[in-house]
Amino acid sequence: MTAEPKLLVKGWVPPKLDRPFTVVGRRINRRDAVEKVCGKALYANDIHFPGTLYAKILRSPHPHARIKKVDTSRAESVPGVKAVISRNNFKDWYTYWYKIPQPGFPEIVLYAGHEVAAVAAETPEAANEAVGLIEVEYERLPAVFDVEEALSECSPVVSYSDVVVPEGPFYATDKPPVRNVWGGGPAVLSRGDVEKGFEEADVVLERVYTTPFQHHGTLQTRTCVALWEGGRLTLYDSCQGIWQAKEDLALSFRLKPEQVRVIVKYMGGGFGSKSGAQRYAHYAAALSMLTGRPVRLELTRAEEFLSHPRRPAAKFYLKSGVKKNGRITAVWGRVLINAGSGGAYKPFKHDAILHPFYLYDCPNVHLEQWGVLTNLQFTGPTRSPLNIISSTAFESHVDELAAAIGMDPLKFRFMNYNPYADPVKKTRFSAKNLDKAMQAVCEEIGWDSPQRQHNGRYRTGRGMAVYMFHGVGFHPYEANAEVVVKPDGRAELRMGIVDIGTGSATTMAMVAAEELGVNLEDVDVMYGDTDGTMYAPGSHASRVIPEVGPAVLKAAAEAREQLFAALADKLKVAPSELRSERGFIYLKEDGRPLLSFREACRIANVEIVGRGSRAPNPGPYPRGGETSAVNFATFGATAAVVEVDTWTGKVRVVRCATAHEFGRVLNPKLVESQHYGGVLFGIGYALYEGAVHDKKTGIMLNADLLNYKIPTTLEMPEEIVCINIEAEDPYFAYSAKGGAEGINSAVPAAIRNAVYDAVGVWVNDFPIIPERLLRELEKMGSRDAV
Amino acid sequence: MVLKTSVEVELKVNGSLRKAKVNVYTTLAELLREKFGLTGTKLGCNRGECGACTVVMDGKPVYSCMVLAVDADGSEVLTVEGLSAGEGLHPLQKLFIEHDALQCGYCTPGFLMSLTALFQSREKITLEDIKHSVAGVVCRCGAHPNILRAAAEYAGLR
Repeated sequence: MTAEPKLLVKGWVPPKLDRPFTVVGRRINRRDAVEKVCGKALYANDIHFPGTLYAKILRSPHPHARIKKVDTSRAESVPGVKAVISRNNFKDWYTYWYKIPQPGFPEIVLYAGHEVAAVAAETPEAANEAVGLIEVEYERLPAVFDVEEALSECSPVVSYSDVVVPEGPFYATDKPPVRNVWGGGPAVLSRGDVEKGFEEADVVLERVYTTPFQHHGTLQTRTCVALWEGGRLTLYDSCQGIWQAKEDLALSFRLKPEQVRVIVKYMGGGFGSKSGAQRYAHYAAALSMLTGRPVRLELTRAEEFLSHPRRPAAKFYLKSGVKKNGRITAVWGRVLINAGSGGAYKPFKHDAILHPFYLYDCPNVHLEQWGVLTNLQFTGPTRSPLNIISSTAFESHVDELAAAIGMDPLKFRFMNYNPYADPVKKTRFSAKNLDKAMQAVCEEIGWDSPQRQHNGRYRTGRGMAVYMFHGVGFHPYEANAEVVVKPDGRAELRMGIVDIGTGSATTMAMVAAEELGVNLEDVDVMYGDTDGTMYAPGSHASRVIPEVGPAVLKAAAEAREQLFAALADKLKVAPSELRSERGFIYLKEDGRPLLSFREACRIANVEIVGRGSRAPNPGPYPRGGETSAVNFATFGATAAVVEVDTWTGKVRVVRCATAHEFGRVLNPKLVESQHYGGVLFGIGYALYEGAVHDKKTGIMLNADLLNYKIPTTLEMPEEIVCINIEAEDPYFAYSAKGGAEGINSAVPAAIRNAVYDAVGVWVNDFPIIPERLLRELEKMGSRDAV
Repeated sequence: MVLKTSVEVELKVNGSLRKAKVNVYTTLAELLREKFGLTGTKLGCNRGECGACTVVMDGKPVYSCMVLAVDADGSEVLTVEGLSAGEGLHPLQKLFIEHDALQCGYCTPGFLMSLTALFQSREKITLEDIKHSVAGVVCRCGAHPNILRAAAEYAGLR
């Protein structure tokens, strides 16, 4: 049985605000905008200390090799070199990522780019020269890059045993990889009987879809300054989770957590790639600890491409049965995820198959997700990590199924719409209005009266797709916040988060101001520093609003109640008779203010500190086939109008509508920016982006921003319509869940389906580069000729 | 012949004459950031691909990572720090804030300086001019629609 829905906080649950919102829902400018437009915002690259040393990393040129010998003597003799670290002096040392240990300098390098040594010197020039003089003797090992090859009997095995997989609540040991398969076998989601489903079908379709490695392409390359001073490590970093970085660094150097301080006030883009402590920060810290000097480590753009954990590529086999009346009778799927040589695969082990399992009302489903290890760089969280893989493949497939029986794709989706989480057990999500989102985007682009052009060089078409994103609370569900109200009436919100550009500092201040009943201008925010804040999650997986939100709401409500208690005493009224709004204190049932909030703080004359902590989501998470009475997710849809140049094969997105359902919008202005960001990531994935690797050496051939194309003003659509579908969700602060992820997931399939509508060919390999589209057009042309 | 390794340069930065001794291979971006402490100019690739380091040099937008400091000798350079020098924010900066034309903020100086060069170049500006003037600046957060709105409003197009 479900417990009564309540705000997910520990202890006392604040009552629902019994008045209309005064701050929440307003279009507020972000707090740090002035610093950013004036060039005053200091990113890690901009922080300089006297006596700083410059660090540089030596990376393996080979995709798979045993290191037999590292000779650093020539490097050490370069004038200005202060320290060189490698296996010679840092042998059994681990870096940590999400508390997962990884050998700092492995004996066996697993990809071209794996770290071999690091140098700190007085100048960047000396560091570069020294890195070039390190002599490494490699024994080259056979390597594998392709998922199918990696699964074959005769494939080289990625030497993953070199990486320890720890026990732990979230990263508990899976079975060790067996012949390049993560956990020794696939993760499976299954219900009903697929064979029976295929027998019942009028049409059975089998297709294969491939999706690329997508890089985060953060504008700021990873940079940090590490400072070991007085037995304490301070790291000025570009990371998304200061508390996670602190934990990881403490583990790596066997320090007490209080000996590590991490500071990130500004960060130039993360998109999941900068969660927790990253490897490069460990090298800078180690070099600072050796030399006692500040050490600055700034990755080059090429290193940025070659070394950080990117989005895995995938190959998705799908076979589905459908009846002529439009009902899907069976779905069988197998997705091979190219997880590279490691990283954080475990939390994603089901994520590419959740979408087909939960979004469609089909009784017979069997889905397998295989995590496959190859000698390519690590993979990890990337804006809607594997959600975009599953939406891209399955939403493409859905349109083909609809076309196979001659049904409109929107009508087909409604016909197979699943309002539940599990359609058989009839379990529910805390809120799900995906149907409204589908309707809204299609209405917006004029689904039923499309302006299509099906003749001539330029052709237009429209398409749509849907997504679900399940990052609505995450292990370890720990998020804390403090609201301090000072005698002068100003409030200070303290949170251990980073504002990575989503505007979290602004939205969380809005929650605090609303709950306290003060004006937003009277709330200061302290964040981005582990000193002076309590543990909070990293700003990834869209978890700040759903996890930190309830903690902030509760901290502010507690502060308000403390004030009311002290005030009631002085005013000779019961605390329960008081309420606050817009910086004034009222007697309930009375429209006239008693006194200002500021005055109240002066009179009350007490120290006010409210604290709030998030409680875990109730019931099991919708992973691994388990469904509870309550499941949490956000949903949405995208519709796109594209123009195809049939001569060049170029696709241009003309218009695009995105609808996102994530409870309530705290700040529409900032949420729209997340829609735009999602569209950019989605258009890149659909049409331009993808790592290209040399088939023989595995080396990435387009590790730069000219050959790895990120959409610019010329590729973004002329019009993007952002729609927010709002719904009550009592578990979250004012019903608000995360808005940053999800949106990009449905963009690629919507574009691909629109391309079909325009020119009548399905492109199943992403990105849809002109070469691929022209090849399909040519095939159709030759068929037509026959 | 003895090759020169370091040279004294003098240029006007944000209205003030500045001098520095630089290596011949020092870029304008490094000169601004490291010698003059003007860290508002950002480096995203250091090889002329991302545009974050764009500044206005003698009225033209340049990738400051692709200009040698010795080649900027005697020139006049405007950086993002110079946009709001004196009395409050520049109207374009205000519009950027109002339209949320920035997220992480790392590319923002590049967009602002590319647009400044465009608006200084001529009177009549079209939306196409605006789009092309910033097509050489990469923004990964997706602020483009808002950047175009802010610039169009500044140009009196809306």
